[in-house]
Amino acid sequence: MPSLMILIPLFGIIALNLIFAGSVKMRRWAFVFALALFVLQIAVAVFYHPAFRNNSLERIDSFFRMAFFIDHLTFIMFICIGLVSIASLFVARYTMPDESGRFKFTNLLILASLGMSGIVMVKDIFSLYVFMEITAVASFLLIAYPKTIESLEGSFKYLILSSVATVLMLSSIGLLLLVSGSTSFTEIAAGIDGSRGSAFVLLAIGLFICGLFIKGGLVPFHGWLPDAYMAAPAPVSILLAGIVTKAAGIYTMIRIVTTLFPYNQAVNSVIMLIGTISIFVGAIAAIGQDNFKRMLAYSSISQVGYIILGLGAGTGLGIAGAVFHLFNHSVFKSLLFVNSAVVEKETGTCSMNEMGGISQKMPVTGTTSVIAFLSTCGMPPLSGFWSKLIIVVALWQAGHHVYSALAVIASVITLAYFLSMQRRVFFGKLKAGLENIKDADRGVLGVSIILAAVIVGVGVFFPFVYTTLISPVKEILIR
Amino acid sequence: MENNYLLAIIFVPVFGSILLPLAGRISERLRNWLALTFVCVSLAGSGLLVPALFAGKVPTISVALPLGFNFVLVADGLAVFMALVSSLVGAIIVLYSFGYISHYDNRNEYYFMVVLFLGSMMGLVYSANLILLFLFWEITAIASWRLIGFFREKTHVIRADKAFLITVFGALAMLIGFIYIYGKTGSFDLAVIKAALKSNPIPDFVVALILLGILSKSATLPFHTWLPDAGVAPSPVTALLHAAVLVKIGVYVFARLFVVTFPVGTVWLTAMPIIAAVSAIVSAGAALVETDMKRIIAYSTVSQIGFIFLGFAVGNGVGVAGALLFILMHGLAKGGLFLCAGIVEQNTKTKDITKMGGLFATMPVTAISFLACSFSIMGVPPFGGFFSKYLVFAGAVNSGQTFITMTFLVGALLTILYLFRLFNAIFLGEGALTSKEGSKLMVASVAVLAILSLLSGIYIKYPSDFVQMAVKQMMGI
Repeated sequence: MPSLMILIPLFGIIALNLIFAGSVKMRRWAFVFALALFVLQIAVAVFYHPAFRNNSLERIDSFFRMAFFIDHLTFIMFICIGLVSIASLFVARYTMPDESGRFKFTNLLILASLGMSGIVMVKDIFSLYVFMEITAVASFLLIAYPKTIESLEGSFKYLILSSVATVLMLSSIGLLLLVSGSTSFTEIAAGIDGSRGSAFVLLAIGLFICGLFIKGGLVPFHGWLPDAYMAAPAPVSILLAGIVTKAAGIYTMIRIVTTLFPYNQAVNSVIMLIGTISIFVGAIAAIGQDNFKRMLAYSSISQVGYIILGLGAGTGLGIAGAVFHLFNHSVFKSLLFVNSAVVEKETGTCSMNEMGGISQKMPVTGTTSVIAFLSTCGMPPLSGFWSKLIIVVALWQAGHHVYSALAVIASVITLAYFLSMQRRVFFGKLKAGLENIKDADRGVLGVSIILAAVIVGVGVFFPFVYTTLISPVKEILIR
Repeated sequence: MENNYLLAIIFVPVFGSILLPLAGRISERLRNWLALTFVCVSLAGSGLLVPALFAGKVPTISVALPLGFNFVLVADGLAVFMALVSSLVGAIIVLYSFGYISHYDNRNEYYFMVVLFLGSMMGLVYSANLILLFLFWEITAIASWRLIGFFREKTHVIRADKAFLITVFGALAMLIGFIYIYGKTGSFDLAVIKAALKSNPIPDFVVALILLGILSKSATLPFHTWLPDAGVAPSPVTALLHAAVLVKIGVYVFARLFVVTFPVGTVWLTAMPIIAAVSAIVSAGAALVETDMKRIIAYSTVSQIGFIFLGFAVGNGVGVAGALLFILMHGLAKGGLFLCAGIVEQNTKTKDITKMGGLFATMPVTAISFLACSFSIMGVPPFGGFFSKYLVFAGAVNSGQTFITMTFLVGALLTILYLFRLFNAIFLGEGALTSKEGSKLMVASVAVLAILSLLSGIYIKYPSDFVQMAVKQMMGI
């Protein structure tokens, strides 16, 4: 059954291009198809039937030389992928007036989400690599889509650094294959267990983790990320920041670390160190930014730091917190990028100093941006507060008191740059020359409101969300 | 039954506040009265809990949640007392806002934030779980951020950001302290913590971390600077922030944690009164030289908060009773002063006292209310402020801290000086400003606060009975 999550979009894209690409009128169906697909994905994750879980379809599955499986972590990732893709889709309809350009965009979006669905379902390391590449190639094209100098530059940077990551990971896969004689997660884990302490394995682990740091845009491997996020068209920034780097870099790291080398103290300390550095470097760099999207990009780096800090705690609670924060981050960061897309489209600029008091003209965008940023700063009762709290508590319980305290205090810096953003963009007196702007169209406003509702809802009903969705994630460590 | 009251007290205003912007689209009047109703639900609900308290019951709601994040509400004497004071002053402030705020933009947001603020305050005082307490604590910070920047001027927004950052910094330091306690006891539930920490005081650095949060929220030296700056907010808000609610949050949490829940090291019995004394004297001095009317009153608040801390910090029943009464008396009187200042500001369009004078002739009711509230803060008998100040001093002397008490006497003297200076500059003498009395609702609100300040002194028996009952519960006598 899980293979359908790959096959439906795959044949969908082929059908779209064979049948529907001919006339402009028919191309509009691409939007409907993509929307239906993403809604289906969320629905499957939320209302899944246990039978769906890992029921194999013999005939169809034999089509793949790989096996898929779904666990709680996969479900959470499905919801993230679906939500962010829907946001991206609606924003594309709002900001890209050109019908045929949007058709290409929609196709690439489906391809990227297919790649990510693959990433979160595979259970061998080589298939993982294949799906990562599918996602990455779709992302290169998406970033370069406007074909301006900046977007090509952003895409090129991403391409180069991503290739470096690829090389590192492929070499690592080769080494692991030598050690364990297989690429499946379980056999590699057994192989690593068998040759504990060997420098060979250590090198393989190091290479792989480094590749993931690049993919996830963590300090000091973050050079490509602000350029790519800033240069990409608005809907692509949402996709990249919301989910692509999270699925390719962070989800994979969570999966790899927990299944291949759990309880490895050296790996955990490296992860915690990189996480803390990312939190601070990202947040401090964000303070000085004038470009709205660039600031959000640095903020992303900082928040990803929290996620892997939770992972580095090495306990079930820490991993649950990391996954929870990953989910929350996709929601609130997508919302912030949706807000920035609306502001950019209406004012024609991304420079925050040229804006001011926009809330007056855009009540919904203004209000949802407040909810999103407060959640990012970890303000109760919003979702971000709980995930950060779990991470901090997990770190404390694992004995990493200093990291825990640092993670708490870093929230002040987060608050500082977001308050500066609010002051310059939304809160305050309306700047002269902006009298004629208006709020976004209904589709985008609907998306903003839904995302904001998710943030508030998850925060208010935290105990329920925690017990049903987040806590079961701990099982990945035990297996 | 009591438990239902308890839930209504918190959740009617918290969730009701979300309806207010929607109601505002239908009708202004509907929204205003809804806002008042929500706050009055809290007031009435807390009032209905009083008989149960005197009957020796402590209404409690407890729902176990994962990770020790239990949802626990406890309505003991301290909580009900704080809730009554805050919602009483809050209700009067909402009433006053009807007139004050009616000709500014963003009224929907204003009522939303004020009611949310008061609702969170209710949540804060009744919660007996550190995380729940922290949660409501931060919601009040968010609401006050929006309220201080209400007029959207650039300097106002910057000051709002400043207040937000300072209080959040303190709160996060406090959170680290909470997490330490969680690490030791495995729960955020105050009852569990109390049992676990019965005999061993928590380390001094944890107390210091928690104090960072408390002092920044209560605007005590050295974290006081945001409070005078926050005077740019609309007057009902400054009254709300300063007098009734926000600065009392810190004091309340001090009482809740350090007096009621866990023992602290003996060093704090000396250190805390010293911090309070420095804060009281320095800010009283600042109030003497300022020329901005609202800043003077704000500095006066910083100074008076020092007295409340002194009462709680001396660690005996008399001082604690004095501090509790002080919260009530100061809430009423300082709320009155700010609202009077609001009327003066709105009618003269200035806050600079050097430009004012002779306003007594045109606004007599406001002037007399102002004077009455000033008397209460100075501690002139028979106003309520006299009794609270007396008890705080008595408590401090009983604990043997003579030198500290002398310092506070100087502080009390300075209070008399700067308040007379303020009254003199605004209402007496001659001035060029033309003015008129404020709207009926606004004048009525300040008059009510002034009369309450007087009545609370004349009928001191009732609040003092309540406070004694609360103190007995708190100190476990």
